[in-house]
Amino acid sequence: MKKKNRWGLCVAPLYLFTLLFVLGPMIYMVAISFAVDNGDGHGFFWQFTVENYTKMTDPVYLQCFTQSFRLAFSTTLLVMLLGYPFGYFMAKLSERGKKTMMFLIMVPFWTSSLLRLYGWIIILQAKGVMNGVLMKLGILERPLKILYSYPAVLIGMVYALLPFMILAVYSSVEKMDWSLVEAARDLGASPARAFLTVTFKLTLPGLLSGVILTFVPSMGLFFIADILGGNKIVLVGSLIQDQLTRGSNWPFAAALAVILTVLTSLMIFLYRKITHVKDLEGIF
Amino acid sequence: MKKKVFAIALAAAAALTMTTAVHAEDNDELVLFTWEAMFPQEVLDAFTEQTGVKVIYSNFDTDETMLEKLAQAEGGDYDVIVADDYIIEQAVQAGLVSEIDRDVVTNFGNINPLYQGQFYDPEDKYTVPYGAGIPLIVYDPTLTDVEIKGYSDLWNPELADSVAITANYRVINGITLLSMGKSMNEEDVSVIEEAGQKLLELAPNIRLIQDDNTQDSLLNGEASAAFLYTSQVTSVLAENPDLEVVYPEEGLGFGIMGAFVPSAAPNAKAAMEFLNYLLEPEVFAQCMDYIGYYNTCSAADDLVNPDLVVPDSVTKGEIIQNVSAEADEAYNKNWTEFKAACGQ
Repeated sequence: MKKKNRWGLCVAPLYLFTLLFVLGPMIYMVAISFAVDNGDGHGFFWQFTVENYTKMTDPVYLQCFTQSFRLAFSTTLLVMLLGYPFGYFMAKLSERGKKTMMFLIMVPFWTSSLLRLYGWIIILQAKGVMNGVLMKLGILERPLKILYSYPAVLIGMVYALLPFMILAVYSSVEKMDWSLVEAARDLGASPARAFLTVTFKLTLPGLLSGVILTFVPSMGLFFIADILGGNKIVLVGSLIQDQLTRGSNWPFAAALAVILTVLTSLMIFLYRKITHVKDLEGIF
Repeated sequence: MKKKVFAIALAAAAALTMTTAVHAEDNDELVLFTWEAMFPQEVLDAFTEQTGVKVIYSNFDTDETMLEKLAQAEGGDYDVIVADDYIIEQAVQAGLVSEIDRDVVTNFGNINPLYQGQFYDPEDKYTVPYGAGIPLIVYDPTLTDVEIKGYSDLWNPELADSVAITANYRVINGITLLSMGKSMNEEDVSVIEEAGQKLLELAPNIRLIQDDNTQDSLLNGEASAAFLYTSQVTSVLAENPDLEVVYPEEGLGFGIMGAFVPSAAPNAKAAMEFLNYLLEPEVFAQCMDYIGYYNTCSAADDLVNPDLVVPDSVTKGEIIQNVSAEADEAYNKNWTEFKAACGQ
């Protein structure tokens, strides 16, 4: 027993690191969010104010929040619809098939995500690959203006986050005890009923991990909206960046970041409440 | 004894070489201080050939570094400096710039008056403009029937969803103000808010807002008109010479690089001669072709790459300057509202 305790000390530096470099900056950020911007573009001074928070009720800034949530929800929904069946059937492949599939999912990560996004520009642009093929086939007469629009951003988001959902669902389905499904079938459940009452319920923690792994980053991945959306879709992330750099209003940027963190945590809490999942695989 | 004599001789020799060194710096050398690659080597060599003065090229990375070094040297060490408009204003205010000797710089009249009388040197006492960066509208006449003449035409409903613009909030606010007949540096918040309303009306026409490679949108068919920086204009014209360049009738917004002589320049005489030499049409044209900025010397207009010449019909131009914190906040808000409206 004593021995075990001493081993525990080995992780102390890790705790210290977390406290210093995760909790520390968080507290600093919350503190700044109540400070006053000094107006000339360089820094702020310590004087308590809630103005940074009341300022957010301005429709311009509220719009950034609704825009971010809208994008995060639609991305998560699409990723779920595509990723769940993918992960499910992937877990049912032969050992060799699983390995190959895993490899194929991992390969794109060897290239910078920025570069892959520029690849999407080449595919989607007016004189690009997609429009070229569709026009050659006579399906389109004029090129589709899809780049620099909401759908283009959505495609980019789904593309970037799909692997996380697939892997979360896959690990969940693979671990599942199939004899439970067989038992349900033996007791007269139809395949659909067996799936819904047994398989789906048992893989729900995996699905929920996938949802969180998709939803949380999608609230912050503003560079996809900037590159594929032509900077026209202003998400909270880009607003924070703007306030930190061009606007040089650190207190306001900090307040936005605090609210974003709070809202995201709230969403995670709601997901868990609704689905009654206690332990999320791989996250908590 | 012998040793002592030798030491004295050595010291004397050292002293002698030192005086010649100082002497050389006074008359035969000129220290040119600017960014990298701002002058073609041939131009500098030819100056040495003509005058016997050797040009020592010294670099800085940013305007701010330049000012700091110049301030430390109390206006000395350097003979000619080329830097951006706003930093020259600060250097002049700090008393680090000497007036131009018009008796030596007889070519001063070759300067295009469009770039004179600007905020950093309202009486043209201190600087010789050395190239201007001017954002301009470029459009593809095969993609649109609208004949674009100025900023206002970008609001034309026929250009729906087909205009690309750069992402500098002050520049875009600025061209909106110019289209309203106001200054790009408007300080009155109510006027800025009015510009914000007008900017919202531009939103349906915006295809993309981007600072890097904005010109690509004209080549890949995403946009039929684009508001571009100088380097982007030159590069897109090189790819497709059939594109139309518009020098907006409402007036230009530009940034100017200026050459000046510091207040305590070690070789001020040669520095003035150098400025005069630069303003010779052939020399200036060679320099502008090399750096790819708009020609600021009228006398060189016929010699320089025609893409770098602003037509005589353009007589108005303005430089973006710092504004009050309230005005800046209003500009920022306009920009956020505008971007959000573009995404609707």
